[in-house]
Amino acid sequence: MRRYILSTILLAATSVTLKAQGLCAPIADRCEQHITAQYIPDGQFYRALLQGEEVAEFGMTLFGGTTYRLAACSGDSDGLLLFAVYDRDRNLLFTNKEHSAAPYWDLVIANTLEVTVEAYLDPARSGSGCAVLLVGFKK
Amino acid sequence: MVPLSFSRPALLVGLVLSLAACGGSDAPPQDAVVDSTQVTDGTGDARIVQLGGRNFSIPSPVQAAYAIRGAGLKYNSALLAGLDKAGAITDRSRRSLFLGMLGADMAYVTVHGDGQKALATLQTIERIGSELELSNAFDRALLERFKTNLGSEDSLLRFSGVAFRAADQYLKDNDRMDVSAYVLAGGWVESLHLTVSDPAAADNAALMARIGEQRRSLDDLVALIGSLPDEEQDLRLLEGLKGLQVTFSGITSTYAYEAPVTEVAQRTTFINSKSGVVITPEQYATIAAQVAELRSMILA
Repeated sequence: MRRYILSTILLAATSVTLKAQGLCAPIADRCEQHITAQYIPDGQFYRALLQGEEVAEFGMTLFGGTTYRLAACSGDSDGLLLFAVYDRDRNLLFTNKEHSAAPYWDLVIANTLEVTVEAYLDPARSGSGCAVLLVGFKK
Repeated sequence: MVPLSFSRPALLVGLVLSLAACGGSDAPPQDAVVDSTQVTDGTGDARIVQLGGRNFSIPSPVQAAYAIRGAGLKYNSALLAGLDKAGAITDRSRRSLFLGMLGADMAYVTVHGDGQKALATLQTIERIGSELELSNAFDRALLERFKTNLGSEDSLLRFSGVAFRAADQYLKDNDRMDVSAYVLAGGWVESLHLTVSDPAAADNAALMARIGEQRRSLDDLVALIGSLPDEEQDLRLLEGLKGLQVTFSGITSTYAYEAPVTEVAQRTTFINSKSGVVITPEQYATIAAQVAELRSMILA
């Protein structure tokens, strides 16, 4: 009985991981197109599986003298993922919500600052899904 | 807000158990995705999750390489990790760290126009990547693209960035967060080593500021490695990073918000907030010594 329960649990856990892979891979492929040839990818992959009102967040340091491109994607088309960038005092620096949920945006950084990026699904268009965020930069 | 990670198998097991215990109408719909951290913020507002669990952004080594070149420091290939070390490192965490170090070295040699060294470094990356089962990212095709673009710095840096991102995606998709974390840590340590190893760095205000600006990345790395299961933690590395944290905590920084300016047609926002970092010569010397020790430990 114990073996049966353990097998069920492991199977379910594996299925969640596989589900993440299956959902996120095509979104990542599409999102990568927004980090165009002028930008160097930062070498990292950010993703979260979101449901309802969940908000994915991550912190990063943006260095002065650099232009960053943030690309945010979900679902099977652009414009499903909203994102916002806040400074360390929680001042809103940018949100694509004010720009028709643009799938990418450039941030030109004058001086180095620490930011938090929050991403969430547009509730009017998606109830759950994989959120992918990619970052590129240029001098 | 106390973020929790649901990204590893043990936690997934916990999640599955929880779901099984809940059952009934509280269970999420069958097609719901739940591989995320869920916490309430105390107000009942939107729940915060962290992308991929304990997943922070660590600056790309390319940015450190640009800063070094921009400061006018002399290119010094003697600072690089020896490629001959590759065969001697068998431990998984050290191998992952070494892979990250080679990524930083490749950025350094590329921005300094040493294409042949970049190619040799990439060949070693391919070998280490294969040993870490990352052939999806570092393969023959990448080597060939590299060879045919040796004269184009931007292309090489882009190929490298794409490859490391593919590796990171593969590692996260396959729940190998330890390798992902150690690759990031290795790249960060090596970038800092390349920055502080030339005494001339201490005379360059921009570079000194860049060193001081690494504090959050260091905090994130410590949190990232500290969040790994006990058996996957490289305790000596963690101890070394925590020692650095103590030094970095003494660095003072300032920040003043200024309203950003957005040019909608160009999909661009100019962020003009002011910031500053003050790092003393003593702090710089301590950081340099601690990084040297940390690096020696990784390569031992």
